[in-house]
Amino acid sequence: MNLLFLTFLAPLLGFLILAFARGRISENAAAVVGVGSVGISALTTAIVGWDFLHHMPEGGAYTQHLWQWMSVGQFTPSFALRLDALSLTMLGVITGVGFFIHLFASWYMRGDEGYGRFFSYMNLFVASMLFLVLGDNLLFLYFGWEGVGLASYLLIGFWYQDPANGAAARKAFVITRVGDTFMAIGLFILYREFGTLNIQELATLAPAAWPVVNGVGATGATVVALLLLGGAVGKSAQLPLQTWLPDAMAGPTPVSALIHAATMVTAGVYLIARTHALFELSPFALQCVGAIGAITLLMAGFIALMQTDIKKILAYSTMSQIGYMFLAEGVGAYQPAVFHLMTHAFFKALLFLSSGSVILAMHHEQDIFKMGGLRKHIPFVFACMLIGTLALTAFPFTSGFYSKDEILHQAYLTGHHELWLAGLFGAFLTSVYSFRLIFITFFGPERWRSQPATHGHDEHHGLGPKDDPHGAHTLDHHIPLGVLLLLAIVGGFIHLPLGSVLPEAHIPEGDHGPAWIAYLPVLVSLLGILVSWFLFLKKPGIPAALKNGALTKYIGQFWKSAFGFDWLYDRLFVRPFVWAANINKNDIVDWFIGLIPASLTGANGLLALTQNGKLRWYALVAGAGACALLAAVALH
Amino acid sequence: MNHAMTTQQLTALLPLILATLTTVVVMLTIAFKRQHRLVAAMTVIGLNLALLSLGPVLLAANGEPIELTPLLIVDGYAIFYMGLLLVTALGVLTLCHAYFEGYAGNREELYLLLAMATLGALVMACSRHFASFFIGLELLSIPLYAMVAYPVRDSRALEGGMKYLVLSGAASAFMLFGIALLYAETGALGFAEIAAKLSAGRPGILLAGAAMILSGVAFKLSAVPFHLWTSDVYEAAPAPVSAFLATVSKAAMFVVVYRLFVNIGLFRHPLALDALTWVAVASMVVGNLLALRQDNVKRILAYSSIAQFGYLLVALVASGGRATEAAGIFLLTYIVTALGVFGVMTLVSSPMKDRDVEHIEQLRGLFWKRPYLSSIMTTMLLSLAGIPLTAGFVGKFYLISVGVDTRQWLLMGAVVAGSAIGLYYYLRVMIMMFQPIPVRERVSEPLNWVQQSGGAMLMAAMALVLVLGVYPEPFLQLIRSATLALR
Repeated sequence: MNLLFLTFLAPLLGFLILAFARGRISENAAAVVGVGSVGISALTTAIVGWDFLHHMPEGGAYTQHLWQWMSVGQFTPSFALRLDALSLTMLGVITGVGFFIHLFASWYMRGDEGYGRFFSYMNLFVASMLFLVLGDNLLFLYFGWEGVGLASYLLIGFWYQDPANGAAARKAFVITRVGDTFMAIGLFILYREFGTLNIQELATLAPAAWPVVNGVGATGATVVALLLLGGAVGKSAQLPLQTWLPDAMAGPTPVSALIHAATMVTAGVYLIARTHALFELSPFALQCVGAIGAITLLMAGFIALMQTDIKKILAYSTMSQIGYMFLAEGVGAYQPAVFHLMTHAFFKALLFLSSGSVILAMHHEQDIFKMGGLRKHIPFVFACMLIGTLALTAFPFTSGFYSKDEILHQAYLTGHHELWLAGLFGAFLTSVYSFRLIFITFFGPERWRSQPATHGHDEHHGLGPKDDPHGAHTLDHHIPLGVLLLLAIVGGFIHLPLGSVLPEAHIPEGDHGPAWIAYLPVLVSLLGILVSWFLFLKKPGIPAALKNGALTKYIGQFWKSAFGFDWLYDRLFVRPFVWAANINKNDIVDWFIGLIPASLTGANGLLALTQNGKLRWYALVAGAGACALLAAVALH
Repeated sequence: MNHAMTTQQLTALLPLILATLTTVVVMLTIAFKRQHRLVAAMTVIGLNLALLSLGPVLLAANGEPIELTPLLIVDGYAIFYMGLLLVTALGVLTLCHAYFEGYAGNREELYLLLAMATLGALVMACSRHFASFFIGLELLSIPLYAMVAYPVRDSRALEGGMKYLVLSGAASAFMLFGIALLYAETGALGFAEIAAKLSAGRPGILLAGAAMILSGVAFKLSAVPFHLWTSDVYEAAPAPVSAFLATVSKAAMFVVVYRLFVNIGLFRHPLALDALTWVAVASMVVGNLLALRQDNVKRILAYSSIAQFGYLLVALVASGGRATEAAGIFLLTYIVTALGVFGVMTLVSSPMKDRDVEHIEQLRGLFWKRPYLSSIMTTMLLSLAGIPLTAGFVGKFYLISVGVDTRQWLLMGAVVAGSAIGLYYYLRVMIMMFQPIPVRERVSEPLNWVQQSGGAMLMAAMALVLVLGVYPEPFLQLIRSATLALR
């Protein structure tokens, strides 16, 4: 386990090498460094994880003190890594899934002029994300938190020549920053109250200071938990800070797979699980977590139903699945939440990578209504997509089935029936929208054959000639998809001893609930598939008619634009701010601040006069100084 | 008292003996053969031997201070600072070699002067008596006059040397007068003896003596209002000599004065501390303000060193306890950083062809031509400004923590204000290096082979600045164990 530090050191070095070698090394060398560093990291994780599971350290956690920055009096900031079942799970997801996504990206990004730059950012992301999950201290977690935010910003705006991508990157950065500010304030309060940000110390100090009395948490605990929740909501794109995630799809598809599906967006879930001791102190905050999860999962499910962009459908689906994780945490079922986080990483990464493959096959076409019948042309990708979708809809014996089923089961057993109902309905929606994607893209007429050319020349359309660098589907394309395909199926059998870190949900002893609640989700999702088949394959006229109906047209537009949140935020925040900024155009405050440099330059001018280069003056001043000292003695 | 030398005492003298031998050997070498590389190599070997001899000294001392005659004491504190001063002198030496290679006149005597000045600095580091203190000081100062004016055909350098000679002489006179007053009242010159007999003297005369000594000290440390010479001399002197003035000369003075403060209670009289506080505040504010709109980089660095020693005076005011550690870490970080900054200024100057590169405009777009040197310069400037993860931050942080512990709010306010102002001019130099220049001028200039040792030294300095910033703990422990004697 001593090797633990290698996990984040390797990507960090990879980032440095690529950043400094920018553009001077070939694509292949950049790929070797970029993918290899994450590979080393994954390999280290495997070794460390094996060691950890076979020689479980005492207390279920291994702490590696890397260094103490300095020790000045009481101030002894030290940097330690903490490995327990929770961080091991995250570690496995980040480096394991991350490695295959990097491998896929080395195929996907071929021919891009920013190839090296891309991998430097990706490595920076992996390093920051590992920092986030391994830090034993909220301060270091926060450093990693901001680091992934930066990497996410850089990668969303990776194709910066298009101003729209830059705008999307800024939007993601600013909106998550709103959440981060809440989180930072929460950390300040914690440090002020307890004088430490070490998570383990907080977990013992906080319950003593803020006990729960008659089911009501102390105000301090509620405030801190809600502030932390603010950070989690921003990072994990939950209501009301969810609007950035669909726009973030502007980045290259492997980025969407790694950052905006498998890892970074689940950081909020991780944060709540990591600081569960604080959330347990405030029942109200926990209720908020559950409610936010339930509302987000339903809302995102509805919106996904109306999207036509393949990546946006997946983005809303991610948002909805994270809603499930929040819901689980809200009912105290932390273990299923983290379990779902892991399985979701498998199948959602698979879905995104396959969609990337589809997009490249269609020459950067993302509208599913311009695709169709693709199953015969790219059968392997179709298989991947299908398995991923089945896992997403929690089809029996796929990975998603085990995790989602457990979440719903525990939600019911802990007595949160309204959340359970929401989750159940969400499962139905999930089936409908995800099979809509499958049916429209891979079945039905081959619409792309009849599309007029949009790129100028015909042969670049549809499944055109293979003269581009992606033409040959090679191992670096097949291996990641194959491995993730396998994980999406069997990932549900991976069980890490999360019980040593996270508490069990409060379920009455021996209560297993009625037998039908185990079968209901399966029935619901099968029903969803059926409805989807009927609406989008059997009778595609019905949705089309609704789309053009007099009243339903407007509802549909409102619905498709994600219920107008962007519009609302623009009116509520952006415009008043611009208005206020316009009023204060001349910047009154700045005038006062301007006095400081003015007075400093004035003082500089006066003092410069003393530097006249004349020896006699210099001697005089020195003598006067000595005289002043003597005078002080004399007057004493 | 038994004046026969034991083996232990002889071992403890080794660094001083070897440094003395170096001057003799270098002098004789010059007499027989004038060759720049040979003489430089002899000096490097000599000073390195002196540095290596600190090992046996450590073994001989075995944690206990070794007293050598009433004049000198070799304790952990002295050994640590002798090592630091020797390493610094060697760093300056690599710069001298790169710089004076292009000098048309006699180049060899510079090394003689440098070795002698270093010997003076070593004597100061282990003196515990006003006589050895003063001899060390003069041994350090007199070669410096010649070093500043070394390019004798350059009227500016001559003028600078003259200014330094006259003013430094005046300062030495102040100091001698102060020492005489102390001697008159106590009849002793050893630090410990004076401390023991303080109660016998009249407080007024004693304080007057302390005030005169402080005036002399403040001049050498270029503290306000004794600072006016600094920028003129730094500007006039060849760049590596300015580096020596800013590092070895000042550090040696501080090292002995700190010992003085800890040993003799007179200097911790409230009046003396008040005076020192005001001198420190004035140094921070005036030093930083003077640098604000300065266009000459060497002058900026001179003013910056005034301000930096203003910060260091915080440790002197706090004297004792953790302040000793704080002074050690601050001096270490400052010396490494200053060596780096002056080193870059040396290597960008084309040696001795015309005036040094010193106007800020001459640095415009340097990054496009000499990326390594500008990266080093950037790191060093960040360190001087005290940005976290560089050495400068650790040093300044330590000083502030000591200042807060001893409740010196006035000084702390000045440190904060000074750091804020300082950021402006450090960034100004930095930004200038990254200004765009026409593409056709963006050719990497080849690094001259004589500059390679200087370049290697700078790389090492940069690495040290980063290591000190990221992982200072081992250095802190070294200093902690070395300065136990003076806590």
